[in-house]
Amino acid sequence: MGLDKSVIRSVSARAAWAAATALTVVMTFGISAASAAESVLTMHIEEQSSWVQNFNPFDLAGRRQSTMDFIYEPLVIFNAQDGGKPVWRLATSYKFSDDMMSITYELRPGAKWSDGQPLTSADVKYTIDLMLKNAALDTVGVGETVASVEAPSPTEVTIKLKAVNSDFPESLADLAVVPQHVWKDVSDPVAFKNEKPIGSGPMTEVRRFTPQVYEQCRNPDYWDAASLHVDCLRLPQISGNDQMLAILPEGNMDWIGSFIPEIDKTFVALDADHNGYWQPPAETVAFQMNFKSKDEGNLEAYKDLNFRHAFSLAMDRKSMVDIAGFGYPVVNEHASGLPPRFEGWRNKAAEGDKDAFMGFDTEKASKILDDAGYKKGSDGFRTTPSGKPINFPIIVPNGWTDWIDAVQIAVEGLRAAGINASVTTPEYEQWRKQILDGSFEVVMNSRADGATPFRGYYQSLSTAYAGRVTGAPSRYSNPKLDALFDQYLKATSDDDHKKIFNDIQLLVAEDFPVVPVFNGPTWYQFSSKRFTGWVTDKDPVMNPEDHDNNRMRLMHLLRLKPVQ
Amino acid sequence: MRVSGRRLGVYAVALAFAIVMNFILPRLMPGTPVDAMVAQLGPRATPAAVEAIKARFGAVDQPVLLQFVDYMKGLATFDLGVSVKYYPQTVVQVLSRSTIWTIFLVVTAIIFSLSVGVVLGAISAWRRGGRFDTIISPLAVVMISVPPVIVGLTTLFMFGVSLRWLPVGYAYDPNLDPGLNFTFAGSVFIHAIMPVLTLSPFLIGEFQTTMRSSMISVLGEDYVTMGRAKGLSHLSVMFGYGARNAMLPVLTNLALMLGAVFGGSIVTEIVFNYPGLGLTLYTASIARDYPVIQGQLLLMTLATLGANFLVDIIYGFIDPRLRDAV
Repeated sequence: MGLDKSVIRSVSARAAWAAATALTVVMTFGISAASAAESVLTMHIEEQSSWVQNFNPFDLAGRRQSTMDFIYEPLVIFNAQDGGKPVWRLATSYKFSDDMMSITYELRPGAKWSDGQPLTSADVKYTIDLMLKNAALDTVGVGETVASVEAPSPTEVTIKLKAVNSDFPESLADLAVVPQHVWKDVSDPVAFKNEKPIGSGPMTEVRRFTPQVYEQCRNPDYWDAASLHVDCLRLPQISGNDQMLAILPEGNMDWIGSFIPEIDKTFVALDADHNGYWQPPAETVAFQMNFKSKDEGNLEAYKDLNFRHAFSLAMDRKSMVDIAGFGYPVVNEHASGLPPRFEGWRNKAAEGDKDAFMGFDTEKASKILDDAGYKKGSDGFRTTPSGKPINFPIIVPNGWTDWIDAVQIAVEGLRAAGINASVTTPEYEQWRKQILDGSFEVVMNSRADGATPFRGYYQSLSTAYAGRVTGAPSRYSNPKLDALFDQYLKATSDDDHKKIFNDIQLLVAEDFPVVPVFNGPTWYQFSSKRFTGWVTDKDPVMNPEDHDNNRMRLMHLLRLKPVQ
Repeated sequence: MRVSGRRLGVYAVALAFAIVMNFILPRLMPGTPVDAMVAQLGPRATPAAVEAIKARFGAVDQPVLLQFVDYMKGLATFDLGVSVKYYPQTVVQVLSRSTIWTIFLVVTAIIFSLSVGVVLGAISAWRRGGRFDTIISPLAVVMISVPPVIVGLTTLFMFGVSLRWLPVGYAYDPNLDPGLNFTFAGSVFIHAIMPVLTLSPFLIGEFQTTMRSSMISVLGEDYVTMGRAKGLSHLSVMFGYGARNAMLPVLTNLALMLGAVFGGSIVTEIVFNYPGLGLTLYTASIARDYPVIQGQLLLMTLATLGANFLVDIIYGFIDPRLRDAV
């Protein structure tokens, strides 16, 4: 940026009159702040070019991202930063039956909806039944797991499962319980905008809504009101990263979840006493090859462990992190791909010599390929041991510039090892479609984790999910791994879960189905000018991200207190 | 004053062409709006939910002819469908809230630039070769050639980010409620300054250049000489005799430039997060929101045709020779 401070100063000196005028005008047309008695927290949780008043929790695409947690409180939240321990919210406990085929939740007595009506087990039953009856509303997958729901007493909900599943409570953590007395009159719940929501969370009152800003304020009947010190959330519309950069100097944002390039210069330096960030590594990003590829040569290569090892050795992970990712991601050096946030689950046996192929060494990669019979042709590119050509594009969505750069770095490494790879950047919808219909060759993708590392592995590497969701593009299928997943789902004690997951890690590290490269960052920045209680790297007790995928953001909100 | 049937015929054909192209183009592109909608659901949607939503919105498997009939029916009733990005808002709702801001921006920029450009052009011609002309005329050429995105980013960085004199986004202060009062109008005015200034250099340059050359040829006419001979003041000859008649090519130019002005406003709105059609089109393109893109292209075609039509009529007023002949 061309203007240094002295230039700015001389410009402003000459134009002092204009500045004064502009200031006067701004002050005259006065922007009256909310009354001083109220504590209003300004936050940025999603990027949109205009707000649409939609608080329908079942509308994944259209709902405002402040709907979950803040309007609809979960039954229970599992804190990944605390070994996946439950934080009880609308529920106070749950218990599996002896045969593990049903689970009973005990609800918090005295919980109310924001219109003062009691929140009972009938509401929970109604919500799950609504999703069972109407698949388009099924945002948590109850259609696959739940057989039926009963409400034996006002505070008890019993859910009968289709199969043994100790992971069920975690999947239900995304459930938004809605009030039966309101929703029973909604004729079309898919298209319902729910403009004046009645909810159970801390911030249910939509006081003001315009295309440019909206305010979500205190629930008058919140059961945990004693813990809540923020009166209103103020959400200004922000269309993208550039807009964010322009707005930051105003110093009005309190809780931010944004990609900010050169964050120390562009954000922290603006107000070093108050501005801070903590961007701990999140999900693992890995290269996935299509094990059902229709290209015979490519398929032969993907299925060969030697090829996958060579692929991994061609990855310059450090450049991907430093150059493509602005230094924000963290290199993942483990063949098991275990994300750093699950440090407590680490199995040492799945590391050490198992990680021998996680460095960057194209010579070693070439040697592995030479030894395995991948001969170089006259064009410098290798063919499979049976003589078929290898030639694949790696797809990455158009516009995801950091990822495109990372894939570009991967391709350079692969070509140096004699593998004919290239980059293709289809539009996001096309990228997604290719992943789901299996017409792609290789893709770089992240997988969603849960409160424990289990969900990420299960939903990306089990036969049950192969090719069905975007997190499982590789279509990998391994009976041994499936058996371990099954054991895990049937296990009930934490010790058993840990033991089985050790075996899962080991097996994944050995068979190396996907090529882990790095862990993307969590997006979290804050200002302590108006509020205190922010989670930092010195006090890493929970995921502080304010985006819709992090239920713990509710607990984070309850930590915040206005500065006196 | 009337517009000839032949002229109206040209407009009708252009409109029909635009309507048909508007129908065909999105169907030539890969993917459907339903794909885009499903993609927006993200990884949390279960396959069953995705199928249910596809079934619910995916009525795209009918023959093209039937689709065309539906499309025409929709046009006739101002039903342009539902936005994918802003679902469940309709395309008409999305476009109507954006249109007003773009019109405000474009009209303000045109009026401002027209006044400045025409006066600059007239003076340059009146004093051609003088010091004023030798500075302003080359400057105008420079102004034409600098793209709005450069002007926008520079303005934003200087006055918005560095000096912080002017707001960097929105059409008015988000804390205010729209209304007919001084506070709100003032906020709209302040928020429009940078976007209007961004759109203006190009327009001012164009108007100055066109006005100057047109004025020079008018100044050679006998009636200007006569005006001078009558001893009228410089100002009345310059504007009453010269500028008034030299305006015609400027107006033609304006009609031709409307497309460019809208193009410039797209960039400007994106830079300043101004909630007009440009920002909407940009967002819609990224989200593959075909219904909105389609609606907007149609709207822009109508606007351009309408503006040309309007210029035809204004011509009749300004140029007495054309009053019966247009």
